[in-house]
Amino acid sequence: MKGTIALGLVFLAYPFVLSNAFYLDIGVALLLAAISASAWNIVGGYAGQVSVGHCMFFGVGAYLPLLVYQHWQLPPIVGVPVGIAISLVLAILVGMPTFRLTGHYFSMATIAVAELIRLVVSTWDFAGAAIGLQGPAVGRGWYDLTFRGELPYYFIFLAVLAILLFVTWQVQRSRFGYYLRAIKAGERAARSLGVPVRRTKLYALMLSAAFTSVAGSLYAIKTGFIDPDSGFGILVSVQMVIIAALGGAGTLYGPLVGAIILIPLQTATNTWFGGGGTGLTYILYGGIIVVLARFEPGGLHEMWHRIAPRFMRGRDAA
Amino acid sequence: MLLSAQNVSKEFGNLRAVAGADLSIDEGEIIGLIGPNGAGKSTFFNCLAGDTLPTTGKIMFDGVDVTTAPPETHARLGIGRTFQVPATFEDMTILDNVMVGAFLRHPHRADARDHALKVLDLVGLKDRQEMRARSLGTPGRKRLEIARVLATGPRLMLLDEALAGLTPAELQQAIALVRKIHETGVTLVIVEHIMEVIMTLARRVIVFNQGHVIAQGEPQQVVKDEAVIEAYLGRGHRNWRKRG
Repeated sequence: MKGTIALGLVFLAYPFVLSNAFYLDIGVALLLAAISASAWNIVGGYAGQVSVGHCMFFGVGAYLPLLVYQHWQLPPIVGVPVGIAISLVLAILVGMPTFRLTGHYFSMATIAVAELIRLVVSTWDFAGAAIGLQGPAVGRGWYDLTFRGELPYYFIFLAVLAILLFVTWQVQRSRFGYYLRAIKAGERAARSLGVPVRRTKLYALMLSAAFTSVAGSLYAIKTGFIDPDSGFGILVSVQMVIIAALGGAGTLYGPLVGAIILIPLQTATNTWFGGGGTGLTYILYGGIIVVLARFEPGGLHEMWHRIAPRFMRGRDAA
Repeated sequence: MLLSAQNVSKEFGNLRAVAGADLSIDEGEIIGLIGPNGAGKSTFFNCLAGDTLPTTGKIMFDGVDVTTAPPETHARLGIGRTFQVPATFEDMTILDNVMVGAFLRHPHRADARDHALKVLDLVGLKDRQEMRARSLGTPGRKRLEIARVLATGPRLMLLDEALAGLTPAELQQAIALVRKIHETGVTLVIVEHIMEVIMTLARRVIVFNQGHVIAQGEPQQVVKDEAVIEAYLGRGHRNWRKRG
């Protein structure tokens, strides 16, 4: 509890301590990445159903606010609940058939559907085709969540992350959360104990899709622009997986820890190498996958649990 | 009658693992299911547990047709099972493992926890409740599996070699535990290779060979059955006896 409060205070103080636009931008990007990865974590981390196509929900959430703004001149925020609703339908359409199967079919299906949507959106004029969509040119205010500066976005993102972590914490403590972990550990054994495996996985996917859609909406509203690659690109999904895996998939704070490490690192490499380092993000992600798979599949959370007792013993002995 | 299986068979391609087996179980019984390796007892066991869909036949539990029902329905109706190779949830604590089972009849966390603690006390794992399941050895894992199933509140428990791989001392403790579980009113079906377990616990023994039930009855009577001896030792055992 003390740790949670301390973490909350650090995040509340961050934009005032590091008020420079560059650091504020990193803070906003970090929170957005933490929201996306935490949303993915519900189904990918807790239930062990590795979706590599979560960008479909992110993209839907990102496109809807700008679609309603561009076609009907409505405030972008109106598109947020519509994006959630469509993401829920998508989750049902993908989850219902694939959760009947075992193995990696779910992962494969999510990649296929996400790529299909990306291709359709890339050629669909209504959605701006390959060029994409734009939001309001200047920030207008609280009524549609568009602002001129980064600071309001920082606190909105922080609030959404806090809500998501609270929901995840509740899930973790509930029967639903226990069932998710049991499914991850062994579906056959879980079913023999009365766990309704397919239904539980579907609910997890729906909850995860809803929050990922919100993350997409926040991104689009803040950026004021979306195109097929930044909404439905495979890298969007891969980033969620890597961040959660790095910090510790299936743990409450794992995705946040992963984002705290990866986002500044990614920003630093982009800044150092500029346009010359276009493929560097892929190399960074690939390197992290290799290191995690080889040395610490449980992520930093697992590593901490392994070394912390030794550290504590050493301190007590001293 | 608590459970009845009529003419149950299971085919995997051309292989007939179970060939028209019948079984009836009354409430409160302890039944031993034995047979040489490859006799079809595990497949039959999986059919009873809802893990394997029989090719033909009918399985009724307490008046409900469960022939094609999934394992979760079996659990809800009161049929619990353990696995030959313990399938504990390795990264979860012992208490959390048991709570997964307890949630079936106790949806609220506090109730599920209380119930799980009672079950852990019964099986003798309460003092290790916060340890991860992966830290347990084979006897501990087998106990944990039994605890997890007990937490679901079963009326019928199917134990698949739950006592195999134990030392003589651990075996005696495990036999005592099974007796304790039976005293709480749970009906038991035990698949086991260790004859000591079968002879000590089972009131009725069913012998499988090549997918058929070849004998059934009281343990003392079944072990003397010529067909059973032949299934285990082969037809040559008579000649060997004569030579001896």
